[in-house]
Amino acid sequence: MNQSGNDGHYDVYWPRSPRQVKRTQLAPRLNTLEGKVVAQLWDFLFKGDQVFELLEEEIKTRVPGIRFVNWREFGNTHGNDEREVVAALPAKLKAMGVDAVISGIGA
Amino acid sequence: MTLAAAASVGLGMPDIPTATLRGHPGAQSREEIKRNLGELTAEQVVKRLTTMPPVALDQSEPSATDIYFSGGFEAVNHHFYKNELSDGLPIVPPTRERIEAFLDFTDRDPQEILGVMLPDSRAATIWSIAVNGVMAGCRPEYMPVLVTLVEAMLDPHYGIEHSGNTPGGETLIVLNGPIIRELEFNYTQGVMRDGFLANTSVGRFWRLYVRNVAGFLPHKNDKATYGNTWRVVIAENEEVLARIGWEPICIDNGIAKGKNAVMIARYTGGNILSSVSGSTPEEMMPYLTDGLTKLSSSWQLVFTVGGHGNSLRPLVLLSPIHAEMLSRAGWTKQDIKKYLFAHARVPAWQFERQLRDWSQKPIWNLAEEYRLGHIPEVFCESDDPNRLVPIVCTENDFMIAVTGDPARNSAYVFAHQGELGYPVGREIHLPKDWANKLAAARSND
Repeated sequence: MNQSGNDGHYDVYWPRSPRQVKRTQLAPRLNTLEGKVVAQLWDFLFKGDQVFELLEEEIKTRVPGIRFVNWREFGNTHGNDEREVVAALPAKLKAMGVDAVISGIGA
Repeated sequence: MTLAAAASVGLGMPDIPTATLRGHPGAQSREEIKRNLGELTAEQVVKRLTTMPPVALDQSEPSATDIYFSGGFEAVNHHFYKNELSDGLPIVPPTRERIEAFLDFTDRDPQEILGVMLPDSRAATIWSIAVNGVMAGCRPEYMPVLVTLVEAMLDPHYGIEHSGNTPGGETLIVLNGPIIRELEFNYTQGVMRDGFLANTSVGRFWRLYVRNVAGFLPHKNDKATYGNTWRVVIAENEEVLARIGWEPICIDNGIAKGKNAVMIARYTGGNILSSVSGSTPEEMMPYLTDGLTKLSSSWQLVFTVGGHGNSLRPLVLLSPIHAEMLSRAGWTKQDIKKYLFAHARVPAWQFERQLRDWSQKPIWNLAEEYRLGHIPEVFCESDDPNRLVPIVCTENDFMIAVTGDPARNSAYVFAHQGELGYPVGREIHLPKDWANKLAAARSND
């Protein structure tokens, strides 16, 4: 690093600003997935229609008693009505008796 | 770092569990996807839903209003670069004296929070605007423009939270009003070229703010496949507009002619239409229409119909020569939009192939979308696959600005990124005593 005499001296400030979000604690995990209801949320990207279908098959071979609620029940979480879709989730998940959610797909 | 891991911190859920998809499903057969899910992902999903992950530690951060670092020019730049606070070019050290010079060009409290910027959930403060303006090399008198840009950035219709998505579009800023000349923005030849302090430094400010406050860092929240460098700000040629009686583009955003205004929108790219010849609209418009259609009828059609539909807003930059010729023939910007809506069309089969087969949108076709009331009848006037359908939903989806070299007959078209950077306009409010402050700032030039 050049510390020559004409490099100056600067007391400078941080260009970011404080985060305005409070930490959310994770919900307790489920003891088992047997007999539980798991919802699928999809952002309509990256072949999620196939991924969720095949993932459901794979998980059912491990947990035969699991039940899934298909992503079609909720709408696109990354479309032009995404705010409405996400805002409606708590009530929908509760009404459907959902125990857990798998949301995808990102990269 | 995955997007989920990067974004979860700013969203207050740093320990949210994720499962991995091996490779990219878009490049895999159904059999490969199934095998990868069976070998890796399914087991991870079961484990993540039944086992509590370790608690991620909260990271302490500096105070925004205490001195953050002290050192020489090179040391400051080295520190900022190593801590991902700059874009790789040298920054102007944001000292209190320089920050306060910017704050002198706003009547607002430095600690005022204009909103919360996703995905890092940071406060968009007047102070942070000044700090990043200094770093970008702006002059203090640009501050009213910078504040307005951040207000626009926070508009939910623009959607700052989408700034790190795969297509990697970059924002274009368009200026209107007397402030163009007052702050010496280039609006003529080479309008998109660096080399003009106001255009260049305000464009750089935008990207620094998106990095530092919104939180879009490459390899973290910014997942652009390729991305673009930040764009130089452009301005309309309002002298030509006044001469021919055309409206400025700020009208499209509900801001009256003569007001100082910014418009922002994200574009994935653009194309020059060089030497667009013709002495009448009928001679000249087909070339322009063809160039616009070719640029905006690829994957951008996902913003016309479907999950992101009704949000494609292609932008045309017309040179003053074209605007004057069209005006002499009695055309207005609205007539150009009407022409483009009637002629910028593609066969329905091509439209559907792009989205259903190539972009792999599963729940989609024109007839179904029309039946559901999502798109106008013009997309489904028959079941002939060769029928021509528009690339946008209404004529007013096209946007037109007059700028560029007044001595050349070229045009430029931008490929828009739809609702993931929808056009938003904001009026610029100047501080009290603007004229005197500006004169004082310019007295040493």
